[in-house]
Amino acid sequence: MSSKLSSKLLKLLKKTSCALCSKRYVGVNVKPENVDPFMAPYSESPKDQQRLYVWGMAEHGALGDLKIRSRERQIQFIYRPVRLRITPFQIKDLACGYGFTVYAVDSNQYKLFGCGLNTDSQIGFHDPRKGYPLGLILATVPIQLPLKESNTKIKAVAAGRAHTLVLTNTDGVYALGSNCYGQCGRKIIENEDFSKLRNANNITLDDDISKIICGQDHSLFITKTGKVYSCGWGADGQTGLGHYNNESQPTIVGGDIKGEKIVKVVSSADCVLALNDQGEVFGWGNSEYGQLLLDGDKYQVNTPRKLPLNKGIGKIADIGATGSACIALNDEGVVFVWGFGILGKGPEMNQSREPTPIPPILFGRNQYNPETQVKSVYSSVFHMAAITSEGNLYTWGKNKWGQLGLGHTKDQYFPLQVSVGAAVKRVSCGVDHMVALCTPYQ
Amino acid sequence: MTSIKPLQLTLAIMKPHVVSSPFSLLDIRRTILVNGFYVVRSKRQTIKLEQAEQFYGEHKTKFFYNRLITFMTSGPSEAYILAREDAITVWRQLMGPTKVFKCQLSNPDSIRAKHGLTDTRNATHGSDSDESVRKEVSIMVPEFCFDHWKLTEEPMFRNGRVQFDENLFIHSVHES
Repeated sequence: MSSKLSSKLLKLLKKTSCALCSKRYVGVNVKPENVDPFMAPYSESPKDQQRLYVWGMAEHGALGDLKIRSRERQIQFIYRPVRLRITPFQIKDLACGYGFTVYAVDSNQYKLFGCGLNTDSQIGFHDPRKGYPLGLILATVPIQLPLKESNTKIKAVAAGRAHTLVLTNTDGVYALGSNCYGQCGRKIIENEDFSKLRNANNITLDDDISKIICGQDHSLFITKTGKVYSCGWGADGQTGLGHYNNESQPTIVGGDIKGEKIVKVVSSADCVLALNDQGEVFGWGNSEYGQLLLDGDKYQVNTPRKLPLNKGIGKIADIGATGSACIALNDEGVVFVWGFGILGKGPEMNQSREPTPIPPILFGRNQYNPETQVKSVYSSVFHMAAITSEGNLYTWGKNKWGQLGLGHTKDQYFPLQVSVGAAVKRVSCGVDHMVALCTPYQ
Repeated sequence: MTSIKPLQLTLAIMKPHVVSSPFSLLDIRRTILVNGFYVVRSKRQTIKLEQAEQFYGEHKTKFFYNRLITFMTSGPSEAYILAREDAITVWRQLMGPTKVFKCQLSNPDSIRAKHGLTDTRNATHGSDSDESVRKEVSIMVPEFCFDHWKLTEEPMFRNGRVQFDENLFIHSVHES
């Protein structure tokens, strides 16, 4: 009886194909039109396809049209990654500010898109009703720039609390939004109403600009030769210009980074970290929580100084700075954190005066995946993120509005993988939302 | 809502980054109303440098004085005179501790933990005593007269004979 049943089962099995590997059993000839639709192999995505995922606070409109779609359900925030389609063209760069998002798109018509908070015209001037500029834009809209030539390409974007920087290949940098501290690189006008601002300020330096970075209310520029220029709010010394005043003219930053070739600068609030081509880290700005590893009670540093990182840490490959803590990745893929807040080493540890490693096992390195390592680190004001060599995204930190994308709004005390259905290439962390640019798994 | 005890006044200031973010502003306004405060005066203004220097005179020697002044004068802010029993302590409890990064861990449901961005951009201000209410109101809302309010409006507010204007965000005494 049992042998009869098993032979029947065997026959049944032989006629189908394996669901997991989609290989058909040898000797069974299945014609294409007879393929069971549930067993058919998935179609392959094009290799250069991009997928955009967003999550976090939706009230500002920074998640694009998701807020409009969810209006009936009155959704305030989205706590897991949701796919967003904004353009059929390639997205070259993206940046999340406080309540708004900007995208640089490789297209001949519309090159810059934005959505979210616009009370300081940080994503351009939009008045569908004449004379009433929109302060909140819930859909992703194209942003007009006064480009001198039509074939100018946008290379990068950066976003602060209420201003946006746009780097082009021919015209230098365009700055949109609030200039109350001089962060747009033009003269400060007292009581200027930024909500009706129509102009984008064009910033050019003697040297070609290769990278742009926004702190909350200050701007930083890296030139091709590795020099750093800055402008904006300097009350914590975050401009690094040797004083604590507002600076409206982009000025070269000296101190310990003079003569160094700086390759990366990061700042999400008022603390700034810079990385040179030798893997050494420099810092300036706010150090109230020991971010700059200073001796004694010095809270503000207005001149760049080299961070006394231990020899044992090795060469640094990537850096990040939250409002109260710092994160660094060395060339062996080990992540170090220091400062105050949720550091990613459990609920008991919320302060570290010196860099301390996060165990690589938390980022998925184990005996089955011994090669897995962190490739890049990111930081927002209240949380941190890391992407591994497999394209997995890990987040940890404060999670008030679901900005960690973990499916809940509880704080996360150690790195946890975000369930994104694609290989994450890069992310941008806003204050209360995140955007991830991904490619399909191959 | 009627009250037997006299109402206490306090000064609340919505700092510039909150005023430029409609979601934060509306959420804090909702918190104020839900907790039984009356909004006696409501005023939007860009604080002038002299006002800010006078207002934060007690912090003159602190390291954060310069950044506090430059931040407060950077854009429009809103000043509310709030009335309630024990208004000063209740409002300070709702705000939470000054430092946002510490407040987030110790008082995660407070206004500053929810809407503060950094230790200076900490969303709101609240007076700490009756004397400082008088001093701060005279700087921020100089046209307000305490004695006049106490005589004419306070009894009406205490008996709940007021109406609320949602657009101006202010309670005013019933005409009848």
